[in-house]
Amino acid sequence: MSKRTDKFGDSISNLGIKLRDAPDNLRLAIIGAWRGRERGMAVFAGVFLASLVITTVLSYGVGLSQVFFEGSLETNVFDAKVEYKKAPKEGTDGWSNNTSVLLDICDELTLMEEFNDCTVIFGKKGLHSALNFGNEDIFKAMPLLMQEVNSSDELRNWNDEEIWDYEYTTGPPIADSRAITFLGPGAFDGVLADRLSEQIIYDMGEWVSAEEVESQRGVYIPSDIASEADAVVGDKLEFLTFNYFTDSDYIGEIEDDDCDGEIVYGSENGFMHCQHSMTVENLTILGVYEPWPQGNPTLSANPIYSTFHVLNETQRVTLIDNDHIFLGITLERSLLPTTSTDDAADWLEALGKEVNEKTYHDGEIELYYVDIISGTILFLNIFLGLIQAFDYIIMVPIVILSLSVLIYGLILSLEQRRREISIHRVIGATSSGLRGMVLLELAVIASIAWFIGYLLAMAAVPIVLSSVGFLQFKALGYTVNPAISFGATIFTALATLGLALLFGRSRARDFMELEIDEGVSRIQKVNKPKVWLHWTLLLVGSLGAIDTWMEMNGSEDGILTNWFVEGLINVFGPFMLWIGGALILGRVGASGPRMMQFFFRRTPILSDIKRGLKGSGSTESVSRLAVIMLLTLSIVTLAAVQGYTGTLVDERTADVTVGSDLQIITSETVNATEVESYIAEISGKDVSINAMHIPQISLIPEDGEALVAYVILDDSENILRWLPQAIPGDQISGALEGYKNGGFTAGADAAYKMDLWGSGRSGAGDSGDILLGVNSENTENKTFIWEDVQVEFVEDGPPVTPMSILEGYKGLMERNWSDLNLSNQNLSGRDLGKADFTNTDMSGANLQGANLSDSLFFNVNLTNTNLVGANLQNSIFVIMPDSLTMTNLSDSNLAGAYDATNVLNFNSIDSIQDAICPNGNDENGTACSDGFNPIPPPLALQFFAPSSNIQITSTPYNTTLRYIGTHEFIPGVATDLMESSVIIGESGYRALVGDETVDNISATTWFVSIPDVTGEDLKALRASIEADSRFESAMDWETKHEEVERNGGLIFGTPGLLSLQFIVASIAAVASAFVFLSLVLNQRQKELAVLQAIGASPNQIIRLVLFEILSIVMVSMALGVMLGMGLALSFNGLFNVFGFIFQLLGGTGGESSVITRELVWPWLELGIVALAVFTSVVMALLITTRKALRSDLASVLKGE
Amino acid sequence: MLEVSDLKRGFGSGGTRLEVLKGVDLEMKKGELVALMGPSGCGKSTLLNIIGGLLDADSGEIKLEKSQYGTKPPRQTVDVRRNGVGWIFQDFHLLEHLSALDNVAVALEISGVSSKDAEERAKSALDRVNLSDRIDHIPEQLSGGQRQRVAIARAIAGERPLLLADEPTGNLDIASGEEILKLFQELCHDEKNPISILMVTHDPILASKADRMLLLRDGITAASDIKSAWGDSEEE
Repeated sequence: MSKRTDKFGDSISNLGIKLRDAPDNLRLAIIGAWRGRERGMAVFAGVFLASLVITTVLSYGVGLSQVFFEGSLETNVFDAKVEYKKAPKEGTDGWSNNTSVLLDICDELTLMEEFNDCTVIFGKKGLHSALNFGNEDIFKAMPLLMQEVNSSDELRNWNDEEIWDYEYTTGPPIADSRAITFLGPGAFDGVLADRLSEQIIYDMGEWVSAEEVESQRGVYIPSDIASEADAVVGDKLEFLTFNYFTDSDYIGEIEDDDCDGEIVYGSENGFMHCQHSMTVENLTILGVYEPWPQGNPTLSANPIYSTFHVLNETQRVTLIDNDHIFLGITLERSLLPTTSTDDAADWLEALGKEVNEKTYHDGEIELYYVDIISGTILFLNIFLGLIQAFDYIIMVPIVILSLSVLIYGLILSLEQRRREISIHRVIGATSSGLRGMVLLELAVIASIAWFIGYLLAMAAVPIVLSSVGFLQFKALGYTVNPAISFGATIFTALATLGLALLFGRSRARDFMELEIDEGVSRIQKVNKPKVWLHWTLLLVGSLGAIDTWMEMNGSEDGILTNWFVEGLINVFGPFMLWIGGALILGRVGASGPRMMQFFFRRTPILSDIKRGLKGSGSTESVSRLAVIMLLTLSIVTLAAVQGYTGTLVDERTADVTVGSDLQIITSETVNATEVESYIAEISGKDVSINAMHIPQISLIPEDGEALVAYVILDDSENILRWLPQAIPGDQISGALEGYKNGGFTAGADAAYKMDLWGSGRSGAGDSGDILLGVNSENTENKTFIWEDVQVEFVEDGPPVTPMSILEGYKGLMERNWSDLNLSNQNLSGRDLGKADFTNTDMSGANLQGANLSDSLFFNVNLTNTNLVGANLQNSIFVIMPDSLTMTNLSDSNLAGAYDATNVLNFNSIDSIQDAICPNGNDENGTACSDGFNPIPPPLALQFFAPSSNIQITSTPYNTTLRYIGTHEFIPGVATDLMESSVIIGESGYRALVGDETVDNISATTWFVSIPDVTGEDLKALRASIEADSRFESAMDWETKHEEVERNGGLIFGTPGLLSLQFIVASIAAVASAFVFLSLVLNQRQKELAVLQAIGASPNQIIRLVLFEILSIVMVSMALGVMLGMGLALSFNGLFNVFGFIFQLLGGTGGESSVITRELVWPWLELGIVALAVFTSVVMALLITTRKALRSDLASVLKGE
Repeated sequence: MLEVSDLKRGFGSGGTRLEVLKGVDLEMKKGELVALMGPSGCGKSTLLNIIGGLLDADSGEIKLEKSQYGTKPPRQTVDVRRNGVGWIFQDFHLLEHLSALDNVAVALEISGVSSKDAEERAKSALDRVNLSDRIDHIPEQLSGGQRQRVAIARAIAGERPLLLADEPTGNLDIASGEEILKLFQELCHDEKNPISILMVTHDPILASKADRMLLLRDGITAASDIKSAWGDSEEE
C-alpha cells in the first residue's frame, strides 16, 4: 500500500472514530450542559433574548408591511377593473354589447383561483392602458356623472344646483361632479356584497339581495348627498338623469357638428367632451352609506350605486357601445404574497398579464386588466421604508442589550470553566478536544435558546402589531402571518447562535493559550478599559438630551443651533449617550457598596463587617452585573417614557383636532338647545348632551390694534377636552377659573404686540408656561374696546338696500368667480379684473401680480393669500375682519379700495410694504394706517342714490380684563390664528356684548360632549349626524383617535415596539439579575465559607452579601433610570424629526403638529419594574446565600 | 483545656452508611502542640472540623474552656469559631481582595472588636509571625509561606486558646514548612500566653516535632503519645 493511500486510510479511520464518538460526545455535551445549569442559564438567557429580539424586529417588519397593505386595501371595494382590450367600435372584434356575455365572462374569471367575485358594472369608461403618470387617456375615461334627480316629495331638496358637485382629492382632475355606477347582480352577494354593505350606516337601510334590488329598483346614496338632499331611506325618485360621454378630446378638437349632444369642458385638464344624458325612472333609496376615504383614483370615489336592471336593454347597449362598461373584480387576497410589497407587485403583474393574454367566451372577447392594488403599493413602499428605518433604529438598544447579555453570559460561563479546562489540560486533553467539548456544550444550549426565542418571537409579533398604544392592544381585524424568509431565519441564527459559537471559540482558544498555572490560579488579568472613549461617548451623547431638556423648559432652540449638527446628534447621540453612560455609570454602580458604606459604616448594619466589604465591586463579574442592570433599566425607562408619551400624544392629537366628543357644523345657525335636541333625536337615547360654541369677536386693546378674541364660555371645562399645553400653567381648572373671573390670555404674537409678559420680548425670563396670579408682578389690567357697528342706509330717494347695491354691482362684473374653492390655488399673473368673488375661498391662494381691479370681494376668505404686486384698484371689500389675516399685500396697488362695512384694517395682515394705499399714497412705512377708502369706487357710485348714503354708527363698549398668561390654542379651534389672538372669558364677553346676545348664541359650529356615548357608538352617531340634513358635517373623537392611535405619537407601529421593548427589557432585568447573581454568588461561595470559619455568623454573612449586592443593584438601578430618562430626552429629537416626516407623508393634517412632544414620566410603571427587579434580586440573594450557609462548610473549604 | 469524649460521626445512610468516628476520646492541655495522624479517610479532618465547629457530631461531647458543643450544628457554634478555635488551612484561604492586615483584622472585627483595636491587634499578630513589613500586600503578592503566616496571624490575633491546622505545610516547600512548625512551637511554648495547636499531618518528621502525637485508626484514637503510637503501628 502506498503512503498516500495510507494517509487516506488514516483520515477515513479518523472520520470513523469521529462518527462513532459523535453521539457519545453529544450526550456528554448535553449532560455537561445540564450539570452546569447555572452557567448555562447565562448563555441561554443571552442567546434566547438576542434571538427573540432580532427575530421579532425582522418578523415585525414583515408583519408591518402586511398590516399596512391590508389596511390600505380596506379602502378599495374593487381590486381590479377589467375592461375590453380595445374600446368598443362598430366592426371590430373582441367585444360584445350583450350583457349576458359579460355575465358569462365574470363567471369565467371567477373560475380562476385568484379571483373570488366579479360583477358587470356600467360606469367609468375604459382606459385600455396602464394607469400611470403622463397617460393622457386617463382624462378620456369619463365616469357616468349625475345630472338631476326628480322627486315629487316636497320635503326633499334635490334641486340644489350644487348637490352633485364633488371634489375628487386623489388622482388627476377628471371630473368634478358625482358619479353614478350601475352594478350587476354579482355585487349583491358574496365578497362584493360584504365589502359594499360594510359602509351602510346603521339604521339607514341595508345592502339587499340581487333579486330585491332589482325588484325595488334600488339606489344607494352617500351620506353627504343624503344630508344635502334631505333624503331618507324609502324615498321614491321618479326620475334620475345622468350623463354619459360619446367622445372626448383636447379642447378645440371636437366640432359642434361631431357632437349631437352637449359639449362640456373638463375641469382644468384641457379636455372637452361630448355629453349625452340618459334617464332612469321610479327608483327607491334602499340605503345611505358612509363615504369611503378617497383612495386609488382608477374608479370614481363614492358614487351613487344602483343596479343595472334599472337600465333597459337599449340603454345598456348604448352605454356599452360608448365604453361605459367594465367588470369589477375582487381578488382572493389571501393568495397575495404579503412577504414584501415587491413580491405582491410581481404577483399582480403576472396576474394582469395572464388575464390580458387569454381570450374569453370561446375566443370572442379580449380583456384588459387595470390593477387597482399595485398603485397602492408604490406609495406604501416609500412610507414603509421610512417607518422600518425608524423602528429599526429604536430597536437598536434592545438588540445591543441582548447581545451584551449574550456576551457577558458567555464570558461568565467560560470563566467558571477556566480551571476545569486547565485541569483537563494537565491530565492530557488536547486543545482541540477541549475546545470541541466547550463548543459542543455551548452549541446545545444556544441552539435550544435560539429556537425557543425564534418561536416566541413568531407568536409575539401579531400581538406587537395589534398595539394601539403603550401596553394597549386591540385586535387588528385581519390576520397577519409574519413568517420571515429562510434567509432571514438563517440570519437570526447566525446573529445569535453563530455569534455565541464564534465568541465561545475565540474565548476558548484564549484559554488554551494561557499558561496552565495561570489558568489554574484564580486571579485573572483584566485589560484596562478605554475610559476616555467612554467619557467622550457620554459627553457628546448628553448634548442631545440637554438640548431637548432646554427646549422643554422654554429655551428657543437649546444649545444646538446648527440644524445639521443637531440632526447628527439627534440620530447618533442617543446611542452614544447610552453606551458611554452605561460603561461609565456601570463603574459608579459597581462602587455602590463603597458609596453606601459612607452612609452606613458607623451604624450597626455595617460596623462589624465593613472590612469584609473592602475591595468589593472590584471584580469583573460584579461590574458586569452593574452594567447589565444599567442597560436593562435604562431601556425599560426609555420605552416606558416614550411609549406613554406617544400614547398621550395620540389622545391629545384627537383632543386638539376635535375639541370635544363631537365637533359638528349645522346647516343653519341654531342655538345650543336646538343642537342638543337634534342630537338627542338622532341618537334616540336618553343621554346627557352639552353643546357649546366658541364665539369670536374683534377687540381693540387701548392704544392698540384690533385683535381676534375667542370667548371661552363658563361651561367649557365640561365640554372641551382641555390639555395643559393649551393654557397658561399646568392646572386647567386654574386657568379656566381665571377666564371666569375676568382674565384673558394672549397668544405669543398678541402678547408681543400688547407688550405683555410672556412674549419673550425682553429676552430670557420674559416667557414661561405660568398662570399669573393676582399678585404676580407680571400680570396687568388691560381695557378692551368692542365696537358695535351698525350700518344704516339713509334713504332720500328711490329705495336702496345694501343687497340692491351689491346685486347692482354684481351685474357690472365681467367674470363670475363666485362660490369657488380657490384655496391654495395658483392664480398668479391672471387677469381677473371685474370679477365677482362672492363666497369664494381664496385662503392660501397665490395671486401674485394678478389683476383684480374693480372686483367684488363679498364674504371672501383672504387668509394667507398671496397678493404681492396684485392690482386691487377700486376693488370692493365686504368681508369679515379676520378674513384679512396673514394676507400678503406688499407691492400691491390698493388705490381706491373700498371697505363697505368699515370694519377692516391692515393690522393682522402679513405685509403691505411698498404698496399703494387705498387713499392713493405710497405706503412708505405708514403701513397704510388710514385703512380702506371710505368712498365707494366710481363704478359703484351709480348704485348709491344721489342723496342716499350709508350711515355707519359705531358704538364702543369697553371692559377691563386681567392678563393671566399666554395660551397656545383652544381644543378644536384651528390653530393658525391663535398666536395673534386673545382668549377672554364669559364674564368679559357679557360685559361687552350684553347678556341677551350671550344667552342666545346662535352659530353653526358646535362642540358637543356626550359622555355616555363612546367608542363605536360615538362613530355610529357621527355617521348618522352627517347623513342628517340639519347638519353639514361632523367629526368624532373616536374616529380621529383611531386615525392616529396605531401611530404611537405619529409613527406607525411604534407603540407595539416600545411595549415589546418595555416587556423584554423588564424580563431581561429580572432574569439577568437572577442569573448573574447566582453566578456571582457561586463564585463567592468559598469566600463566604472562609468568613464563617473565622467566626462570621450567618447573620453577618447575610448582611454582608445583601449590603454589597443590594447597594450595587440599587445604585445601578437608580443610575439606569436616570440614564433612561436622559436617553428618552435625547431620543425625543429623533422622534420629533421622524414624526415631522410622517406628518408630511401621512397627511394627518397640520393641526396635529401643535402637540409638543412633552415627555410623560410614568413613575408607577417604572416603580413596578424596579420593585420586581429588586424583589427578584433579593430572592436570588436569599436563595443563593441560604445555599451558601447551608452548604457543608468543611467540604466547601476543602474545595470539594 | 480541650476535652473530647465519645465523639461519633457517620456519613451517608442505609447500606452506604459509613461510621467514620466511632467514639473518639481526646484531651489537650494548654500550650500543647499535638500532631494528629492516621491513614487517609480515617476521619482526621472530620474530627478537626467537629472540634472547629464546622461540622456537627452525631453524639459525644466537646469541652473547650467554657464552651460545650459537639452535636450542635455549625450555625450554633459561631462563638466557638470566634473565640475558641483559630483555623489554619492547607490552602491558606485568605480573602483575595484584602491586604494582609485586613485579612487579619476582618476576623477580629467580625467578633466584635472595634475597628481601631482590631487593626492594632492585627498589626501585633503580624509582627509575631514576622510579617510586619508585608501588612499592605494582598495575598497574590505574597509567597506561600508568607500567606500561611498571614493565616496564622489571623488565627492567633483573636487570642483563641486552640489552633486547628489541617495540613498546614501541605502546600509549602520543606524550608517554609519547617519555618511554620518553628512558629507553632514558639506559639505553644510562649511563656506569657501559650496556645494549644492540634495539627493534622501526614509528615512523620513534622509530627515527630510535636509534643505529642495522636493516631486515629478505625474511628478511635489509638494512641495518645508518640511512643505508643509508633509502637502500636509496629505491632500491626
